[in-house]
Amino acid sequence: MVWEQIEWVKAAAGLGAGLSVGFAAIGAAIGEGYAAGKASETLSYRPKVAGEVLKTMLIGQAVAETAGIFGLVIAMLMLFTPSAGKALLTGWAYLGAGLSMGLSAIGCGIGAGFPAGGACMGIARQPMAAGPLTTLMLIGAGVAQSTAIYGFLIALLLLFKTLPEAMNWVAACTLVGAGFAMGFGGIGPGIGEGIAAENAVIGVARNPENTGLMTRTMLVGQAVAESTGIYSLVIALLLVLST
Amino acid sequence: MEELGKISVWSTDVAGLHLVFNLTTIYMTLAVMAVLITFAVLATRNKGIIPNPFQVIAEIFVSIFWGLTRDALDEDLAKTYFPLICALFMFLLMCNWIGIVPFMDEPTKDLNTTLGLGGMGFFIAHYVGIRSKGLKTYVKDYFEPIFFMMPLNLIGEIAKVVSISFRLYGNIMGGSIIILVVSYLVYNLIIPPFLYAFFGLFVGTVQAFVFTMLTLVYISVQVK
Repeated sequence: MVWEQIEWVKAAAGLGAGLSVGFAAIGAAIGEGYAAGKASETLSYRPKVAGEVLKTMLIGQAVAETAGIFGLVIAMLMLFTPSAGKALLTGWAYLGAGLSMGLSAIGCGIGAGFPAGGACMGIARQPMAAGPLTTLMLIGAGVAQSTAIYGFLIALLLLFKTLPEAMNWVAACTLVGAGFAMGFGGIGPGIGEGIAAENAVIGVARNPENTGLMTRTMLVGQAVAESTGIYSLVIALLLVLST
Repeated sequence: MEELGKISVWSTDVAGLHLVFNLTTIYMTLAVMAVLITFAVLATRNKGIIPNPFQVIAEIFVSIFWGLTRDALDEDLAKTYFPLICALFMFLLMCNWIGIVPFMDEPTKDLNTTLGLGGMGFFIAHYVGIRSKGLKTYVKDYFEPIFFMMPLNLIGEIAKVVSISFRLYGNIMGGSIIILVVSYLVYNLIIPPFLYAFFGLFVGTVQAFVFTMLTLVYISVQVK
């Protein structure tokens, strides 16, 4: 059986969509489970704040879900973009996009769950500081997700790039390589920034007067932890734009 | 499923440039602005000790965001930038909520809106940074810790705009895609209203707050 070009592109779209949404689901689920676990642990010794903790847990989980939603968006775009008349290289770009989005979402889903868990613990310790804790949790989780967003950007660039008609192995491997660069580069910073955010949230719960100082320290630390993700972004952009 | 990715556009040629405008986004942004202006007029008319309901809502917004802005910036700067932060949140909130009205679309579903707002926050943050630190210290900060880190610091700053605007865009776009797909699978029975409540009201509020807070944080990082 000989496949037509359009069938190859469609097959790659299916494979890429599976990679994107499958990998992205891992991280988001772990992060949300961590938040739920910390909330349960908290409620076991302080059931009185159940309403507040539940609210914070839900908000934190909704933010941690973002990475999974990005994976879904990329998967849907791949599946429902018409494949007719696309170059064979588009299939390789689809694979790269799936890897970039899926792998980078793993770390960010886990990382965004950490501050949510920390905020649940913190509210039990210091119910008066619930407002600053929720704000800091949202900022920390939001910054922890930035590498998943870079993965999303690279995936969108790969999806909508006009590629040369002729098949060329160097270009094909470059496109998949861009996906690997951003995907693997996104895992570490996501988890690392999540740890920074969790500890900042717990610190604010211990000592709410120092909120400003801890927010700044957290942001500087996260910016440094993110630098490896930015190296990956630069390399991935160079790889995508060079084909 | 065909409506996925279909947009109405209006294109024109000005001075040799081919300009394309996304009509849905423009109309919906205007609708959001109309709602907000009506709200502002209703809230500030007949201000009194016994407030009308709109004044109560406006006072809640003002008191919450004044507290947040004052915590993040100094008292003086907070007075200057508080209106921006509060208005930004109200605009984004309305943008994310308007999708639950039938036949309306979120303007934030379009990358142009979020990228524009992200770029606005970027320019304001750097303007504040130059104003408060002076140009010399501002430029010197890019060469920290070592001089050859300059390109990476520069990319890090631009990546902030990317991350803030794609976060909002991806969440709203993802929510609407999930609603579309699930509605198609269940033949528009029972489930879609709950999905609208979750993705429109809940996720929309959280993401509008995250966007506003990150804009505020980027300004405060430049000042300190």
